[in-house]
Amino acid sequence: MPDPIIVFDDVHKSYRDVKAVDGISFDVAPSICFGLLGRNGAGKSTILRILYRKAERDRGPRGRVNVFGFDPERDELDIKSRTGVVPQDDNLDEELDVGQNLRVFARLYGMPRARAEARIAELLDFMELGEKVKAPIRALSGGMKRRLVIVRALLNEPRLLILDEPTTGLDPQVRHTIWDKLRQLKRGGLTIMLTTHYMEEAYQLCDDVLVVESGRAVLRGHPKALVAEHIEPFVLELTDAKLAPQVLARLAPDSARVEPAEESVRVYASDYDVLRALADGLPPGDHHLRPTTLEDVFLKATGRRLDARQ
Amino acid sequence: MPVSDVRPPSLGLRLYSVWFRHMRVYTRNLISNGLPPLLEPVIFLVGIGIGLGRYIDAMDQLPYLVFLAGALPVTSAMFTASYECTFGTFVRLDFQKCYDGMIAAPVTVRDLFVGELLWAGSKGLFFSACVVLVMALFGALPIPMGLLAIPIGFLTGTMFGALSLLVTSFVRNINHFSFYFTGLLSPMFFFSGTVFPLDSLPRYLRPLAEILPLTHAVRLSRSLAVSRLSGALLWDFAFLVLVTVVTGHLAIRRLKRRIVV
Repeated sequence: MPDPIIVFDDVHKSYRDVKAVDGISFDVAPSICFGLLGRNGAGKSTILRILYRKAERDRGPRGRVNVFGFDPERDELDIKSRTGVVPQDDNLDEELDVGQNLRVFARLYGMPRARAEARIAELLDFMELGEKVKAPIRALSGGMKRRLVIVRALLNEPRLLILDEPTTGLDPQVRHTIWDKLRQLKRGGLTIMLTTHYMEEAYQLCDDVLVVESGRAVLRGHPKALVAEHIEPFVLELTDAKLAPQVLARLAPDSARVEPAEESVRVYASDYDVLRALADGLPPGDHHLRPTTLEDVFLKATGRRLDARQ
Repeated sequence: MPVSDVRPPSLGLRLYSVWFRHMRVYTRNLISNGLPPLLEPVIFLVGIGIGLGRYIDAMDQLPYLVFLAGALPVTSAMFTASYECTFGTFVRLDFQKCYDGMIAAPVTVRDLFVGELLWAGSKGLFFSACVVLVMALFGALPIPMGLLAIPIGFLTGTMFGALSLLVTSFVRNINHFSFYFTGLLSPMFFFSGTVFPLDSLPRYLRPLAEILPLTHAVRLSRSLAVSRLSGALLWDFAFLVLVTVVTGHLAIRRLKRRIVV
């Protein structure tokens, strides 16, 4: 196995009395897409920020972070000159237009002017923003802003791209475009690290995911492997909880796992026919029989209820 | 290019990039941003100098117009740098999240704010140059000695930039800057030997005036412009540098905690 690009070893980070990161360890292999999953406040963004020293990890004997062989606390510039960052908020410079935003950043990266111009044109084309070079930031749609922030992050030909919720709040067309572009970049050898709430996104893009809960790692693996190993293949969702008693009465013991929620009940099983038999005769609007997904694994690992940080 | 060959930009290049960002934003609206620094001294000259000046023969052994003209380059630098590093910085910090974006590029928080101070100094230099130009046209400042007020405008701008950044590091609500402007900068404008010499102050207030940073900037600017050179000016120069370094250092330390969380 090739040397990892990122090593996170027993890292802690506290804000006053909240432990945002509570002893997390993982590593990221080169040229893969690594996903951090977790609910709001689980510590995903903090982990990303520690990588490029937008956040400082807790000092102490424990805890080691290594990105390209550098420690962010000591060599933040070495890390940042090899990394592109797409933060959660589109913090574009609203006082400048699209082209000026990119030129200011090219300068921050120390790029010679001719190379900057060529790279800007190439990336705007790649992200399908070629005609917007003179547009003011305010005139851009949410999806364009997001794509522009990705262009900005790619200016310096980074080896690592960090994205904090890259497609939150975007429509399906833009989301699929961004997924396609990220796949292309990965094929070109770029290492991608992202956080997301969309299990579909993690499933589509990631080769390795880490599920975080209250600052701790709870699950790690390839999305397909997680679905194969951590959850039954099928689920019957009863969206009307009142149906549950009569349905469950027909269930043979140990043939399925029942997960009650407030207004609904989910019955997980390895045997499709068991669930099919249960579903027979139910009103069609009140149930749904389907294969399980990463979302089922996620909810099983992190719980269905809201916690105080959400 | 293998990953080990990537070198972060040098310190000079990083500071220049930050400075360039501010310059780019400022020069986008050249007319609306470039006219006031030229018009303000004209208005002041006509309103105060010519109007009020007719009733005052001389002040501190100088024609009143010349007395005023020696101080205006630095007061102009003070106000522009203070606006830039209070309202300007606060909007970038809190509303636009501009620094959050920039900090993802290879710059440190220190680079960001040192670059910003150099920009505040540059604006001070530009504003005092405009004042010197207007004053020279009206014969209120001798040339070439009057040109020496321009670099003092740079020092003044950097110093008030640093002081304002320190104020900004404490401010959580943009309206609170009015305390700084009304409570500190406006009185400073009047009690730093700008419109009347410090000798006219009661004896017990004079040491207080010596603490005000603007006092030293005004003394430097006026003395150089009217060729009243003396070794004591070195102390004024040192005072400006000292205030800049100390407040700038404290400001950056405090602002860092608002960006690197």
